Amino acid sequence: MLEFLAAHKPGHVEWLLLSATLFAIGLYGVLTRRNAVGILISVELMLNSAALNFVVFNRFVAPAACDGQITAIFVIAVAAAEVVVGMAIFVALFRHRGTIDVNRMNTMKD
Amino acid sequence: MNFWLMLPELVVIATAFAAGGADLLVADRSRRALAAIALGGIAAAFTAALAAPLGGALFGGRFIVDGAARWFKLLFLLAGFLTVVLSKDLLEGRARVRVRGIGFPGEYYTLLLFTLAGMMCLISATDIVTLYVSLELATLPLFVLAAWRRDDARSGEAGLKYVIVGALASAFILYGLGILYGLAGSTALAAIGRAVAPSPAFWLAAALVLAGVGFKLTIVPFHMWAADVYEGAPTPVTAYLSVASKATGLAFLFQLFFRMLLPHLEAWTPLLAILAATTMTLGNVVAIVQSNIKRFMAFSAISQAGYLIMGFMAPGTDGVAAMIFYLLVYIVTNLAVFACIIWYSNETGRERIEEYRGLARTNPLMALAMMVALFSLAGIPPLSGFVGKFFLFSIASAAGCHWLVAVAAVNTTISLYYYLRIVRQMYIEPAEEDAAPLPSGRALAAVIGALAVAVVLLGIVPWFYAQAHAHAALWTAAALR
Repeated sequence: MLEFLAAHKPGHVEWLLLSATLFAIGLYGVLTRRNAVGILISVELMLNSAALNFVVFNRFVAPAACDGQITAIFVIAVAAAEVVVGMAIFVALFRHRGTIDVNRMNTMKD
Repeated sequence: MNFWLMLPELVVIATAFAAGGADLLVADRSRRALAAIALGGIAAAFTAALAAPLGGALFGGRFIVDGAARWFKLLFLLAGFLTVVLSKDLLEGRARVRVRGIGFPGEYYTLLLFTLAGMMCLISATDIVTLYVSLELATLPLFVLAAWRRDDARSGEAGLKYVIVGALASAFILYGLGILYGLAGSTALAAIGRAVAPSPAFWLAAALVLAGVGFKLTIVPFHMWAADVYEGAPTPVTAYLSVASKATGLAFLFQLFFRMLLPHLEAWTPLLAILAATTMTLGNVVAIVQSNIKRFMAFSAISQAGYLIMGFMAPGTDGVAAMIFYLLVYIVTNLAVFACIIWYSNETGRERIEEYRGLARTNPLMALAMMVALFSLAGIPPLSGFVGKFFLFSIASAAGCHWLVAVAAVNTTISLYYYLRIVRQMYIEPAEEDAAPLPSGRALAAVIGALAVAVVLLGIVPWFYAQAHAHAALWTAAALR
C-alpha cells in the first residue's frame, strides 16, 4: 500500500473525484440530517469541496496565476461568516423553542 | 485609477458604519436620527450613482460601471430607501400594536446597508471572486434580518430555513463557478465566456449555478423556502426580501448570462421558457388558496419572478431594457402593496386576508392605493404592470416562444382572480360594527401616496422605459466592443 502511494502521485482526476465525493457527502448530509447544526456542517463540507476545486484547477489548469487559490481563501472567509450567522440564529431559536430539529420547524403551515 | 466610479458603494458602506457607530453614541430617545442617517446616506449614494461617469473600469476591469449596472444600482438604492422608511415605525416602537423583540434600529440599518453595498458591487463585478463575495455580502445580512424578532419562534424559524437554503444555494453556485474556472483557466467572466464551449462539464456547471440562482430568485422547483421565510420574517424585511433579494438574483443572472455566456444565449432560451412557465403557473395557482397575506405575497412574488426571467430569452440583448423596466415597476408596485400591509399590521396586528374587510369604508385612500397597486401587479392597463408585462411578453414572442406568451396571458387572468380576492374584502365585504378609521403616520402615508402615484405614472409616461432602453443599448455597445 505504502509503496503504491509513494509511486503514484495523484493527478487532477483523483483530486476532482475527491472534491466531487466531498460535495456528494455534504449534499447527502443536508438531505438526511435532522439537526440544523449537522446540516450546517454538511453545507460547510460542500463549500470546502468547491474551494478545493478552485485550488485543484489552479494547480492543473492555470498554474501561472494564483486566481484559484485567492478564491479559495475568500471562500473560507465567507464560509466562516456563514457559520457564525447560522449558529447565532440557531442559538436564538434554541433558546425559544428548545429544539433545532428541522422536522419540527413546521409552525407556519396554512 | 478613478475611484469616483466606486463612490456610490463607498458612500453606502460609510453610511452603514456611521449608522452602526451612531447607535452606540446616541441616547435612546434620539434613535430617530439613525433612520435619518441611513436615508441621507442612501440618497447621497443615489445622487453619486446618477452623477458617476458611465463606462469605466477599476481594478484591471474587475469592477465596471456601465449603463445596465447604473440602472440596477439605482433600483437597489430605491428599494433600500423605501424599506428604511417602511421599517422606521416598527423599529422605533411607534406601531400601535406592541410587537415584542423588535428594535435595535442601528444594527438593522447597518445590515440593510451592507446588503445594499453587496448588491451594488454584484452588478459591477466582472470576476468570479468579486461576484461570489458580493453575492454573499448581499445575502448573509438578510439571514439575520429574517430572524430579527428574537423572541418570536416564527421569525427564528424563518431565519433557520433561510440560512440553510441560502448556504446550500451558495455552495451550488460556488461549485459551478469552480468548474467554469477549471474549463477556462481564468476568473474573468468575459474570458470564461470566450473560452468555454458546450460540453458535459459546461452544462453541469451551468446547471449548478442556475440551481443556486434559482433558490435566490425563487424559480420553481427551488421556491419552497420562500413562503415560510416571507411569513415568518418581520413585515418590512419581507418587503425588502420580495424586491431586493429578487433583484439580487436577477442581477446575478444578468452577470451570468450577459457578461459571461452571451455567446451561448440561444441555447438557454427553451430551458428559460420552461422555467418561466412553471414558475408563474405554480406561483399563481398556489397563491389562490393562501389566507395569510404575507404568504400570499410570497407566491405572488414567485409568479412575478417567472415573468422577470422572460427578459433573458431574447435572441439578442433587447430583453435587458424590458427586464430592467419591469424590475422598476415591480419594486414600486410591490413596495406599495407592502407599505399598506405594514401600515395595517402596525395599526391592527392583523395579517389574514379576511381581516382586510371593510377597509374601503374606514380608510378609503389606503384601500384605493392598495387596489391600484394590486391591479398593477395583475397587469391591468393603463397601470405600469400592464406596460411592463407587455414589453416582457413581446420579448418572449420575439424569441419565438408564442406558447409561453399564451401561458403568461392565462396566468395574468388567474392572478387577477386572486388579487381581486383582497379587493373584494376591502370594497364589498361590510366592515365590522365598531370599525373606526385607523390613523397613519406621515412618513408612511407619504410613501404610500407617492408609490401609488408612481404606479400610475410609470404606466402612462414612456420616459422611464425610453431611459432604460437607452442605457441598455449603451451597455450593449460597450459589451460588444
